[in-house]
Amino acid sequence: MARCAVLTNDLQYDLVNKNETRKQAVAEFTPKMCAFLEQMRELDVPVVHLQLINREDDPLAERYDGWLPVTKGSEGARIIEDFLHEDDIVVEKNKDSGFFETDLHERLQELGVDTVAITGMQTQICVQTTAADAFFRGYGVIVPADAVVSAREEDKQRALDWLASYCATILSTDELVDAVAADELPQFNVVPIP
Amino acid sequence: MSAEGAVKGARMATTTNEGASRRPARADTAETARIALDHGTGGGMSQELIGGLIAPRLGGAHRGRMEDSAVLAVGTPRIAVTTDSFVIDPIFFGNGDIGKIAVCGTVNDLAVSGAEPRYLTLALVLEEGFPIADLERILDSIREAALQAGVTVVAGDTKVVRGGEIDKIFINTAGVGEVPEGVDLGMRHVRVGDAAIVTGYLGNHSIHILSIREGLGFEERILSDCAPLGSLVWNVMQEHAGSVRCMRDITRGGLGTVLNEVADGAGVSIDLSERDLPIQHETAMAADMLGVNPLYLANEGNLCLFVDGERAEEILDTVRLHPDARAAQIVGRVVERGESAVRMLHSDGGESVVELLYGAELPRLC
Repeated sequence: MARCAVLTNDLQYDLVNKNETRKQAVAEFTPKMCAFLEQMRELDVPVVHLQLINREDDPLAERYDGWLPVTKGSEGARIIEDFLHEDDIVVEKNKDSGFFETDLHERLQELGVDTVAITGMQTQICVQTTAADAFFRGYGVIVPADAVVSAREEDKQRALDWLASYCATILSTDELVDAVAADELPQFNVVPIP
Repeated sequence: MSAEGAVKGARMATTTNEGASRRPARADTAETARIALDHGTGGGMSQELIGGLIAPRLGGAHRGRMEDSAVLAVGTPRIAVTTDSFVIDPIFFGNGDIGKIAVCGTVNDLAVSGAEPRYLTLALVLEEGFPIADLERILDSIREAALQAGVTVVAGDTKVVRGGEIDKIFINTAGVGEVPEGVDLGMRHVRVGDAAIVTGYLGNHSIHILSIREGLGFEERILSDCAPLGSLVWNVMQEHAGSVRCMRDITRGGLGTVLNEVADGAGVSIDLSERDLPIQHETAMAADMLGVNPLYLANEGNLCLFVDGERAEEILDTVRLHPDARAAQIVGRVVERGESAVRMLHSDGGESVVELLYGAELPRLC
């Protein structure tokens, strides 16, 4: 029997509030995303929030007009309360992929997870890289199209096309909830490049 | 004459191994020890660093004395000389580090000239506060890569700058190689009918480094190709010297830049076959995600050989015998089009022009 976990990416105050475009895109996706997370929790699916923490000494960390967002312990680094439940798991990360130099893989293995549903912001960066990393590590990867968000719709669509081509099954949240409830998680069919 | 017997002296960063053995090599090399400005003043602390750490750490890959220059004998009338500086970020990566690249980059530049790499110089510019344990690790890599490549470090220099004036460590190496009699390679020899062979996967070094920098998730699937390829060139030249026109090291600018330079230098056109390009699946994934073209991505252990087209398959067989060239392919042909240009023949039958890359696709890859 397959065991699924939901991974969210970067749903944190500083990151979502970076600009009006991003705030609006997240505001539009929030009601559906919250309902989806609640349905998955009811199905006993673990929810893991990947929390970006920028290191002060990382010259590559993105600065906003000179200041460093999502530093460890800051208010802006917190997971937005709408998405967070007390039983959820929070895993800190310092780079795009949630697996990079974290214990995410070990945590998922302890939970018996073999399939991950990757959600959150932004589709073309953290969702995409975490999905690729999960795929390389042998997980089944599902990306619910209405549970990922980008400031620009064209970026989201391009990322979904890439994910569908290389490593992930794209579903809606409703389809994923039904699949988990029926214990019929889809498998991505790898098409070898000639 | 061998390098070991020929070296008379070397400057600053080199000393005799015998001298080094009289010093406590690890006197100041605890894990917490760091480089201080005084390590670069030329005084006692410099001597301790050089004689007590650098020279012993280089071990058998180093010969020289604390004099102003190395005096070397060579066994051929002609030598090849090259130099390169290495500023890669990060300095440590999945299967290598800045030290390995500093040897391989220079050795490969010598090898593609048809030269047998013999000597290296090693100049280190260190940032104040740089961990000595990291320096030791880098020196170990330099030693191992130099031994593998068959080159000896014969001269060196060490400078220390204030914190923030550089990023951790920069390295410059210069190399000297012996050019065997009769070997004359160069773009001017490339002619219509020749074939282009690429010896390894395109772009892997770039994608590996970028993935580590940003945590993209590809870094364990795509490793750097950094390797000394002198033995590969030697094998090819031993068996096919008369059929090899020109060799190039595919580094910054990638294959696309190399091919354009050869087309321009030889006054020919090159048709490139898209389906024959050696590109690892995961590298294609990453390049597609990042919007970069593997044709322009840097390698650190990948060569492009222009060879007699009629002997290309035979030469390819020789190339593939080398452990770092299993993925080699014949990727293109030199053709007559009345212009100097590179064209990509796509798998769907279409064609496009492969332009020269202007500017850097990605910074600080080597």
